[in-house]
Amino acid sequence: MEIKSTDSDSFRLVYENCYSVLIRICYHVVYNMDIAEDLVQEAFERFYLKNMTFPSEDEAKYWLIKVVRNLAFNHLRRGRRETQMVEKVRLRASGGTNTRDAQVDLDENETRREVRKAVSELPENLRMVIILKEYGDLDYKAIGKILGISESNVKVRVHRARKKLEESLAGDEAYVY
Amino acid sequence: MCIDEALLSSYFDGELKEPYKSQTEEHLAHCAACRARYERLRTISEELRSDGPDEAELNRNRDVIFSRLEKKFFAEGGRKPGFWRKKVEFGLGSMITAAAGLVIVFIGGFVLFGTSPEQTSDIIPSYTIQADSQNVRFVSSDEPRGLDGYSLEEILSYLDSRGYNVDISIKGLQPVE
Ligand SMILES: [Zn+2]
Repeated sequence: MEIKSTDSDSFRLVYENCYSVLIRICYHVVYNMDIAEDLVQEAFERFYLKNMTFPSEDEAKYWLIKVVRNLAFNHLRRGRRETQMVEKVRLRASGGTNTRDAQVDLDENETRREVRKAVSELPENLRMVIILKEYGDLDYKAIGKILGISESNVKVRVHRARKKLEESLAGDEAYVY
Repeated sequence: MCIDEALLSSYFDGELKEPYKSQTEEHLAHCAACRARYERLRTISEELRSDGPDEAELNRNRDVIFSRLEKKFFAEGGRKPGFWRKKVEFGLGSMITAAAGLVIVFIGGFVLFGTSPEQTSDIIPSYTIQADSQNVRFVSSDEPRGLDGYSLEEILSYLDSRGYNVDISIKGLQPVE
């Protein structure tokens, strides 16, 4: 079905079908729900403002994932000062109910911290591929489309990302052989 | 001969085509070492997937964000133009310079005002809030530091992004020489 981004039915359909996957992908890049929500909202705003027609729902979804991925990595790259400013306004705006993430962080068990550390330390090209694979539930073909690389390149990167994750997650045991 | 690691990773993702798929399955059935490698792949994948908020938490603001977008783009009377980009961004600097005096900004239910000396970027040294306004909580602050840290653009962009219908009027009075 053709998707026109400014058509309200199309927009709603795409939103319903893509929100979950977008927020999950975005969260696992920025590791913060508030920021992930802002970025996903921005992605949908761009989707509308782009005023584009997509040949299929999947194409619209890939486009949105591409945008969210760029927004999320730009967010990470952006200077700390700006981020902190936004955070201050945000905390005030929501009446200080956002302590949850901090609490979750505190409660997280060792494995989770290690997983995040391992994923965060992956080079960006490997990191995105594994995030799209594990949190986006996408096949190699879709990931290739989103990242503008070949399927076989996706295959190689997924494998390399897993190798690196295996090494970091093996932790101290790795040194014992 | 044991299974190539990249091949095993593809097999794990269900991306391996015949005859490699059957060959891999056959080998796995007979080779404990490869089964162990396959298990490691599964463990890593599970560790990654079990990290992060659950679906309910991920989708906590799904409807809220949709309402914002709907209001912004599909509300009656067509879409509200991005007021900041279209109307204010280019004009504000010169407007304030010209005013070069007391600047009062009305945003929805609350009022920001202050003197505007040399720097046009820093025009809100103090603020006050209408007590009866629904909007008060939004930018209100319990801290004495108030909104000093934010430029008008940051505040307005933020409010706009949260779906507030922002009416802004800036009144330049006589210079306070
Ligand atoms: Zn083997």
